[in-house]
Amino acid sequence: MEKEYTPQIIGFLCTWCSYTGADLAGVSRLQIPPSIRVIRLMCSGRIDPLFVTKAFISGSDGVMMMGCHPGDCHYQKGNYYTRRRYKTINSVFESLHLDTERIFLSWVSASEGVKYAHVTKEFSDKITGLGPNPVKKEIFL
Amino acid sequence: MSDVLKIKKPVEEGITEFLKFLLEKNKVKGIFTLRKAGKTDSFSYSLITDVEEIKNAAPLTPIMPANAGQLLSSFTLEDAIKEPIAVVIRPCELRAFVELTKRTQANMENIYLISSTCAGVFPLKSAQNGKFSQLLPKYWEAAKKSEVLASLRPTCTACEHFVPALADITISVVGNKNLTEECSLHLNTSKGEELAQGAPGNKTTEKLNDKELAQLKELRLKEREKLFASVNDKNLGLAGLVKTFAPCLSCHGCRQVCPICFCTLCDFDSKTHEDTASHYQSELNQKGGARVPSGTIFFHTGRMIHMAVSCVNCGMCSDVCPADIPVATLFSMVGESLQKLFDYLPGRDLEEPAPSETFIENEFAGLGE
Amino acid sequence: MTATENIKIEKPPKGASIPAKEGIKKAILGVFKKALETEALDAIMIPVKVPETESYAWVLLKDTTLLENADPLPPVMTIQGGKVLSDLTKHGKINKNIAAVLRPCETRAAVELFKLKQLHFENITLISIDCPGAIPLSEYLAEPEKSKKSFDNVLDKWDGDDAVRKVCQICYRFSLPTLTNAPASDLHIGLSGNTKDDVLLIPVTPKGEKILERLDLKADSSLQKWETKIKEIKKIKSQRRKKFNHDFKANISGPEKFTAVFDGCINCHNCQSVCPICYCQQCYFDSATTKLSSEDYFRRAKERGALRFPLDTILFHLGRMSHMALSCVSCGACEDACPMSISVSQVFSLVGEQTQQAFNYTPGINREESLALQDYLEDEFCEVETPSECEPTNSNEVKENV
Ligand code: SF4
Ligand code: SF4
Ligand code: SF4
Ligand code: SF4
Ligand code: SF4
Repeated sequence: MEKEYTPQIIGFLCTWCSYTGADLAGVSRLQIPPSIRVIRLMCSGRIDPLFVTKAFISGSDGVMMMGCHPGDCHYQKGNYYTRRRYKTINSVFESLHLDTERIFLSWVSASEGVKYAHVTKEFSDKITGLGPNPVKKEIFL
Repeated sequence: MSDVLKIKKPVEEGITEFLKFLLEKNKVKGIFTLRKAGKTDSFSYSLITDVEEIKNAAPLTPIMPANAGQLLSSFTLEDAIKEPIAVVIRPCELRAFVELTKRTQANMENIYLISSTCAGVFPLKSAQNGKFSQLLPKYWEAAKKSEVLASLRPTCTACEHFVPALADITISVVGNKNLTEECSLHLNTSKGEELAQGAPGNKTTEKLNDKELAQLKELRLKEREKLFASVNDKNLGLAGLVKTFAPCLSCHGCRQVCPICFCTLCDFDSKTHEDTASHYQSELNQKGGARVPSGTIFFHTGRMIHMAVSCVNCGMCSDVCPADIPVATLFSMVGESLQKLFDYLPGRDLEEPAPSETFIENEFAGLGE
Repeated sequence: MTATENIKIEKPPKGASIPAKEGIKKAILGVFKKALETEALDAIMIPVKVPETESYAWVLLKDTTLLENADPLPPVMTIQGGKVLSDLTKHGKINKNIAAVLRPCETRAAVELFKLKQLHFENITLISIDCPGAIPLSEYLAEPEKSKKSFDNVLDKWDGDDAVRKVCQICYRFSLPTLTNAPASDLHIGLSGNTKDDVLLIPVTPKGEKILERLDLKADSSLQKWETKIKEIKKIKSQRRKKFNHDFKANISGPEKFTAVFDGCINCHNCQSVCPICYCQQCYFDSATTKLSSEDYFRRAKERGALRFPLDTILFHLGRMSHMALSCVSCGACEDACPMSISVSQVFSLVGEQTQQAFNYTPGINREESLALQDYLEDEFCEVETPSECEPTNSNEVKENV
């Protein structure tokens, strides 16, 4: 079946910065990898770590968490918690020898359309290199 | 240096006598401690209010039918205790109690905390064949000599936090050569001093036996390495996790007895995580097969993400697991890394906020840039 | 309400006989494989051994290579199959033609859950199988090789079964009546003798018949030999049950003895969470309703001098019993999951039997029968109201006829 492998990547984006940044990238006609599926949230602080874990276990090849830069959160401090949650997921995955590289955190502001295009491409390329998430074939989850 | 009350009795008798004194002299209105429950080898935590009942107290019996932190949470969840009580609990139970108090699931008001330098407990299984009492002489021997007994709960053999952090009174057990002759109660706080005032026995000043404690710590750390290697030698990863949790019944007993999992309805038991028929059918289409019920690995990793940073290594989860999965070892292992990451030790300090409830502005600088 | 076990068979049913030279399990799996290949079935829900382990997990499969590790009758009961089928069908319609392969007590649990609206049978073909019992889970996990041997032995001889769990030793519903007018499963797999003897596929409902049809199997073999054999074993097991329950009852009757059974209980509620009949998302006994104020704790301690924690262990067991004993299928899942080795299922099975007899109700034996508590007769239980004027509604004797 594998001719050209396009990964499936889920991105959780806050509406104020990253989603707007992604929008800007689109309006500026920058190339965004077709592998990215975006879910918009009011704040990156709304990204329940279980969303990320569930996406991973349900077969996403990569999961992105994106929000405003630290200090710029629309709700003052939501993204500081996001950062800790990312670190928590990362550490748990690391201890269990699960693929930490498939989970990714990036701060993208509303004006950083270029950065959005850049990091999504980089992440998508990395995931393409890693190949499909092995959970896709695992039955006994 | 702290004041020490010495009672000329074997340690368990001594502490029982002390508890009796507390109740008799009305220093407290109740004693929360392990107590014989009905038939041989059954022990349960109890709130004793009648002096007569003290004779059934078994405060240092090396068994943990439930993490006392969880029980004290149920006791104090609705409101603080109005009348003073003394509790005799183990260090990991005390740490769980502190964690729960931080999360407003428990209240420490009016509670005198008595704990011990802890030599560990036996698995619950060892109290089911009527031979539990035969284990005890060896237990006390090992405690005296600061040795690790292999038959203890696995997490106990690998526990480095066996000296209680916040106890008002610490019973000296580990490496205490005199424990069959005398009971030493270290009075760590003014509350502890207050309790011991007028108690039978002699007062001296003394330090805890640091050397012996350090010796046990060293041994336990070695065991810890071995224990973690035992779950890791499947190298985990997805395949290893699948194998480890292959026999899991999804009974969620591990979560039910975990003192840190205090949610009345766990997210993983809620409707949110009950999969639909269409989910199973799409799994079937994609993979040719699907485990039913789904979500075994998700539950365990998710629970780790929720609470492992506060895991107190008590071992309850492993002990109730009907599928003999080394749940506690895994949670301790994952928990240890998380605790290092956030420079956090569950239950060492009531004022230290749980990592998920706080942040430092300039931590993890550069991440996500 | 009628006791299904007393319903007369209209026409003597027949079964399709499958040779089992290489053992019954291979024969059965061969049929399933063919069913998947010919699309008589789209998928099968069956226990499958997890690769590189000794553990079984329930898998809904259509890939026939997965069938290689499947076992229609594994030596242990992992998760109760009725509960698993409920997990699969509880939320939404199944569009595919799926078969679930369950032990009799699992089948009966599925039927009870169906009546409780926690499971549906739309597009589901229920396949039940004669069952010699299951090895206690902890024993199996500790010594899988030895357990497998003793299980195979039990399966071969249908005897000498102290290797299996206590509830299995005294289970006289190890087979299911194949009554077309009172169905539990759609297709029943009859094991008439030792592990090399022919396997009988007995269609019970049109769904079951259809599968045989699609597989080109003719139900033309007489069931007589099988029925005789089942009756024989049933008789032995019923007697054993009667004797066991008689003794056991004496050991647990009265408040003190009953309490003593649960002395070691640590209130983990494993028994409840694995019980197929306890389907509540949140058990009442885990809910906020049961939380007390600290003063209540104190008051209760002072009444007795000491208060055991956690509270109300006995109330939990009695409460659970009153909630679900009428539907208890004696599957033993609760006891397998008890970390304190308490004889939970023996107690529940005994109490269940007595309650069920009072209502002349056998859980899960007939899909068309309503739940005992969803039904009433206007003139029943007069002995409760005016004891002097009447005979008891139902007799308290164990019914042993098929
Ligand atoms: S207690 Fe054991 S069997 Fe039950 S959910 Fe936890 S790991 Fe699984
Ligand atoms: S996860 Fe297990 S070892 Fe850790 S606190 Fe909970 S019950 Fe204790
Ligand atoms: S796993 Fe999470 S949601 Fe469930 S009880 Fe534990 S902390 Fe609460
Ligand atoms: S109470 Fe026990 S034996 Fe009865 S149905 Fe539930 S799990 Fe099975
Ligand atoms: S499983 Fe056993 S210990 Fe747990 S609540 Fe039930 S009877 Fe008690």
